[in-house]
This record gives sequence, structure tokens and C-alpha cells, in this order.
Amino acid sequence: MTSLLRAELLKIRKRWLPYILFLVMVAGVSVIVWLGGYAEWRQSQDFETERLGLHTFAFPWSLVALLDSGQFWGSFLVGILVASAVATEYNWGTVRQALIRGQTRSQYLTVKLLGAALLSAIILLAALAVGVALSLLASALADQPVTLDVPGGPSPFEVVLSVLRAGYGILPYALLAFGLTVISRSTAMGVAGILVFLIGEAILITILGGLGGPAPTIRAALIGHNVSALLAANVIGPGEYNAIAFREFPVASELPAPATAALVIALYCAALLAITYAIFQRRDLGVEAGGG
Amino acid sequence: MAQAAPPATAGRPAAAPAGDVVLRTFGLSKRYGRRLALDRLDLEVRRGRIYGFLGPNGAGKTTAISLLLGLLHPSGGHAELFGLDSRTHLPAALRRVGAVVEGQAYYPLLSGRENLQIWAALYGDRAERRIDQVLDLVGLTTRARDRVRTYSQGMKQRLGLAAALLHDPELLVLDEPTNGLDPAGMREFRDLIKELGRAGRTVFVSSHLLGEVEQICDDVGIVKEGRLLTEGPVAELLRRGEALEMQVTDTDAAVAVLRGLDWVRAVTCEDDRLLVDAPRERAAELSRALAERQIYLSELRPREGSLEDFFLEVTGEESSDD
Repeated sequence: MTSLLRAELLKIRKRWLPYILFLVMVAGVSVIVWLGGYAEWRQSQDFETERLGLHTFAFPWSLVALLDSGQFWGSFLVGILVASAVATEYNWGTVRQALIRGQTRSQYLTVKLLGAALLSAIILLAALAVGVALSLLASALADQPVTLDVPGGPSPFEVVLSVLRAGYGILPYALLAFGLTVISRSTAMGVAGILVFLIGEAILITILGGLGGPAPTIRAALIGHNVSALLAANVIGPGEYNAIAFREFPVASELPAPATAALVIALYCAALLAITYAIFQRRDLGVEAGGG
Repeated sequence: MAQAAPPATAGRPAAAPAGDVVLRTFGLSKRYGRRLALDRLDLEVRRGRIYGFLGPNGAGKTTAISLLLGLLHPSGGHAELFGLDSRTHLPAALRRVGAVVEGQAYYPLLSGRENLQIWAALYGDRAERRIDQVLDLVGLTTRARDRVRTYSQGMKQRLGLAAALLHDPELLVLDEPTNGLDPAGMREFRDLIKELGRAGRTVFVSSHLLGEVEQICDDVGIVKEGRLLTEGPVAELLRRGEALEMQVTDTDAAVAVLRGLDWVRAVTCEDDRLLVDAPRERAAELSRALAERQIYLSELRPREGSLEDFFLEVTGEESSDD
């Protein structure tokens, strides 16, 4: 499996896409720290705006803003990466080449998934590291102490847990893009599908939040609502922050418990994987379906 | 569904020992909606032989190969590779097979060597160590570090063969390997296949080119409209088309004499020449029989059989070789 993963990474790292996605993520974290945080704090006229800005750029609060935005845009960008990694194999016809060499179909999909997951993790963590570095720089410029020891501040273990929660929140969307691409054999379908789903779901959650009857139950079953529950567990103290994600600020009191949310997300992931693997297993791969 | 007649076999030994058969199909079929692309294919490829799977375009050759390699799911029947049932042991069996399939594909951004590294990863260290060897075998050593997208069609085909040979497979499956090659490339590729065959490797090669199959194959199976029409050793099929061509002093009398010989299968007149379907080694006997009746030969020469004649005979096609 190690050699297969190494081969998978060799394929992906020779392409431009991962580097472009990394640059987009770096641009995103820069916007959060400098525009959404430091600039707003510098120009603030009142205490509320000043606190909002501070909790966006200053460490350790910045971690929450970075992870919140990172989860939203990370889902989209990882979706693009996964869709591209899968669909190009169809376009180039190399999927057939792998299978005629005795690689089982499930093994093929698993390697593809693990390769994309590994690369995504590297890109996202590198972008987060850049974001944290910018946050530390901005904190120093604003004469803010750099410490985890703030009211409601996380321990190092909780910081790791927060990163894992945000990463876990990306997983169902990545698997959705993966499934859409395997089924449609098209990067465009995978990318468009995940974009429409992310934005559409955010709108739906907002609408359902304002309705009575069965609306709250439906909302509780949606991926985005449960992801918000995970992200709410990351929030440090009572403070809000600026984020560039198309969703409401996650308030824990309106959301399911993080453990329940994690379970719902796990069920979605399992269902998406099962459907994708089952379809790929039964699919005919003639020349017209990926023979180059 | 109507039951098709079993394919004719031209001199195939009744049953090869199980260990001697590398590939065998049992009623392998593929249906796309109402169209039957492959109809109960039963064929047998024996160890160390080069088997040509011959048929016009659209005959079902690529479908059959895709079924053998697990890319398509059969609508009926199954295959055995090395005695392993493909329904249950396909991945294990495919690890002993090297294949060049139609629409051969590569990672265009990677070099030839990197492409081979990707495929070698599926087989382990031994395949990785063979990369230089197979590059040398197909004559790509000097271009190994160039990106594949800069390769010519012939170079891509050779890279495909190198990839198929990486793990030193027992069986090589080649689907129309010379498609898209110029005449020099085709010849080069055929020589390579012949060389592999001489080295004792079993090769299953599909082609719509009669000349190609005749030149490189030991056995041939002829397929048309999804059905195997016949199969057998090429030499035997060619022998079936052999004849003795002669010119005699009295044609009518000669025909009567020749038809009286029980080992003469047929006599036909072509202008003033006679075409006698009889074993070549009995030419002297034939000459003596005619001389005893005061009929003398002015010319006698053997006429070679051709796979084209045989192909046209079994398929009813007008012409198929390119």
C-alpha cells in the first residue's frame, strides 16, 4: 500500500492544481488575518468591533476563525482536488491501466482516496501554518501577548482536537465530490456539484432555522448543521469572530452535541463511500469510458 | 436466444492438459441492451504459443479482451486464466498477465520512466528493478526521461509494451498493438512480439490484419459478429489452402485420372491450368499416375495456402486485409 500511495502522490504532485489550491488557501488566510482581523481592529471605533477584529487575528482566537473558514473553503478546494484526481484518470484512460494489472476496484478507489486525503491534509495544514504565522506576526504588531492562556483558552491537546474537528468537517463534502466524480466521470460535475451543494445547503439551513414544524428535525439531519456543531466546539470563550464562510456563526446552544454531530457525519461518510464503491464495482470500463 | 453452432476447430488437439492451457473461456458473452457484442466465446490458448485473435473491426475482439481483463462484466459465461476462475480469482490471475489494451493510456505530464514507476508500484520491487531492462528491450532508454506527451504514437505503443512486461508476465494480451503505427513501426512491433514468442512467452494478440497474424502467430481464432467461427494452428489452416498447380497435355483426361485417385480431395480448372487439392509430398505419385495414361506435365508447382483465403472462406468476406 505504501508504494501505491507513493505512486499516487507522484502523479498528483506533478500537476499544477495542488500548488494553485495551496496559494488560494494562503490568500484566504491572509484575508482573514489582515483584512478581517488586523485592519478592522486598527480602524475600530467601538469596543464590539475592536473585540471582533482582535478575536479574528490575535492568537489563539485566530485559530477558531482560521479553522471555521478553512473548513468551508477547504471543503470546496478539497472537492476540486478530489474531483480532478479521479476524473483525470478517466480522461487519460489510466483507470483501465490500473485495473488490468490486478489492482482490485476497491483497492484502486481506496488508494485514490487516501492519496487525495494525504495531499489535502498537507495543503490544508501548510495553509493553516501560514495563517498561524501571520496571526503571530499580527499579534506582535498589535502588542498582543502570544499565549494559549486566555479565558476559555485551549490546551495544546484541544488545539489538535480543534484541527481534527475542522478536518472531519471537510470529509463528507470531499466524499460527496469523490462520489459525484466517480459516478459522472467528470471533474466539472464533481466541482459544480460540491459548490452547489455547499451553498445550497447553507441557504437551506438558514431557511429551516426560521421555520417551525418538522424544519428543525430536517435541519438537524443536514451535514452542514452537524459540521457547525463541531466547529462550535472550537470556539474560545464567548467571543465572536469574522470568518469567510457562507454560514451563520456557530452558536452551540442551537446545535446538536459534538458527539452526536460526529456520528451523523460518520453515517453520511459511510453512506457516500458505500454508494461510490458499489457503483464503481459494477461499472463497465470500456474504451469509451476511459480508454483514452 | 438461438443456440449458435459450435465453432469449427482446425486441427486443434482434442484437449490440452490443464496445466498447458493458459487461457480458456467458457461461453463468454457480452450484451449491450439488444446488441450481442460477444456470443458464447469458447477459446483456448496454450502455453508458449502466440495466439492471433483475428476478426474485422467491430467483431468483438476488444470486448472479449476487456472481459478477460475484468474491465467489462460478462452477460454470461466466464474465463479461466492459468486455471483460476476469473469470477473469483481475477486480481490474482491478472498479476500474471501483461496487457496492452486498445486506447492505451499514460500520464502525459510524467516521463516514460515515471509512468513505468507508477505501474511498477503495483507489482513490487522486482518490477521496479526491471524498468531499465524493459526500456532497453523496447528501445526507449534514450527518451525515458522525456514527458510522454512528447512521444510519437509508436513510442507510446512501445512504452505500453514495456509496461506490460514490467513484471515478467506469463501471458501477454495485446489488443490491436500495431494500430496507428507506420509500416516501419508495425514491422518493429511484430518483430518484438515474435521475439517474445521465441523466448517462450504466451501471447494473445488481437488484430484485424491477416498478414500480421499469419506472420507472427502459431494459432489463430477467427471471430466475426461476436462469434468465434474457427480456431486452430495457423500452419494447419495454411496447409488446408495448399494445392498443386499444373499444366498438362490433355486437361480433360487429366481431370478424369486425378479424380480417380482417392488421396486427391478436389480438382478445379482455372483456364488451361489445373488446381489439385492434394498433399504436396505426393506430387511425384501424381506425375506418375498421369504419365501412365500418356498425359504429360508441362508445368507443376506447389501453391501456398494463405490465411486470407481461409479467412474469406470462413467469414464470407470479400476482402479484409489492410
